[in-house]
Amino acid sequence: MPNLIPFARAATAACLAAVLAFVVMASAHAAPAPSLPHGNAAVGQKLYQSCMGCHSLDENDVGPRHRGVVGRPAASVPGYAYSTALRKSGLVWTPDVLDRWLTNPQKLVPGAKMYFSVANPNNRADIIAYLSQQR
Amino acid sequence: MDMFDRRGMLRCMGWAGTGALFTLGGGIPGSITLDAALGATPKPGFSFLQISDTHLGFNKPANPDPLGTLKEVIAKAKALPVRPDFIIHTGDVTHLATPEQFDLAQQMLGEFGVPIHVVPGEHDIVDGNDPRPFLDRFGRAARGEGWYSFDAGGAHFVALVNSIHLGDRGMGTLGEAQLAWLGQDLAGRSASTPIIVFAHFPLWDLYSDWGWGTADGAQALSLLKRFGSVTVLNGHIHQVQQKIEGDLTFHTARSTAYPQPAPGEGAGPGPLVLPSVQLRSAIGLRSVTLRQGAGPIAITDTPLA
Repeated sequence: MPNLIPFARAATAACLAAVLAFVVMASAHAAPAPSLPHGNAAVGQKLYQSCMGCHSLDENDVGPRHRGVVGRPAASVPGYAYSTALRKSGLVWTPDVLDRWLTNPQKLVPGAKMYFSVANPNNRADIIAYLSQQR
Repeated sequence: MDMFDRRGMLRCMGWAGTGALFTLGGGIPGSITLDAALGATPKPGFSFLQISDTHLGFNKPANPDPLGTLKEVIAKAKALPVRPDFIIHTGDVTHLATPEQFDLAQQMLGEFGVPIHVVPGEHDIVDGNDPRPFLDRFGRAARGEGWYSFDAGGAHFVALVNSIHLGDRGMGTLGEAQLAWLGQDLAGRSASTPIIVFAHFPLWDLYSDWGWGTADGAQALSLLKRFGSVTVLNGHIHQVQQKIEGDLTFHTARSTAYPQPAPGEGAGPGPLVLPSVQLRSAIGLRSVTLRQGAGPIAITDTPLA
């Protein structure tokens, strides 16, 4: 039986390129996504106090540790017992996803452990700006 | 100590770390601060203390030593001129519901030297869904997922559990099974029986945007409406708040560990960091005294300093 893997790889690469091109073209015609408010990390540091009933930067607590959270896949901190729902979510904590999470975590991931929400979009942006700096 | 007016109480809502003494006279509860109780002339009557949100295991700037402040509360309680008949703990006994924290909690609560009745907070539920480790320690007389009732001092006490199944925005939930049990528990009791309900989350809609309420609390309150004196005690929000609605009075208690902000102040509920000299003004305990015959239940909220 012939080895189809090289062919499959080439075909996959071609398909990905085509899909990517389509997405780029489609994006050019789509309505621009609403941009998040520009956050103030210094304000976010103060607001982060509200998160500290359950979180800290460097220790798993009621919730997982936060250092490095922006850009990291959901449910990926070792030693923390995540909900099945979040483990299966496939999310990556981009600023946009974090904004949706903080707006209503149970709407984004029903069955997640977290219920805490931040109603004010500027507050969310400030907190995300602060977390983005915590590398 | 001066009694707080509503404005003062709201201003101090973020503080944690004291207790309150409750008294029952003729089935009507009242409260005073623990400091006031310490200086008060002892009166014969039935009394108990409420403490809440001890959060053993918490170690952040709002209070790096909640064990130390709990020990101060215990010392204050033991210095009361009248030994309370028992203590009610309205939940979040521990911060992370670990075996070590439960061990420490059992040891420390035993230091009060009087019986203690406990309901769990959401921090006492392992992984947010398993109340069994808590119930194994503190819920021996409980039914279902931890609810129970008992009679003492001429009043009927009902312990409700609203911290296991969280609802919209993290509000507490009682659930159909518990509500059905509550209906049965109250059925046949005289409307003149003083009722004292305690739970972790407020049963009234205190600030639902932050989950400070119980999604199906109104159903419980409708079952309680026919009684002439109903006192509802809770924790969770780490500050003193009171509300009177007909014959129902609601009292939220300070934490013994750390305060939280007033409703709507800041991004959300969470530990409030105060200058260290102010912490003990924002945490404490509550005492309640019940006197047979005419007169109100006396409820006293007492900060640690």
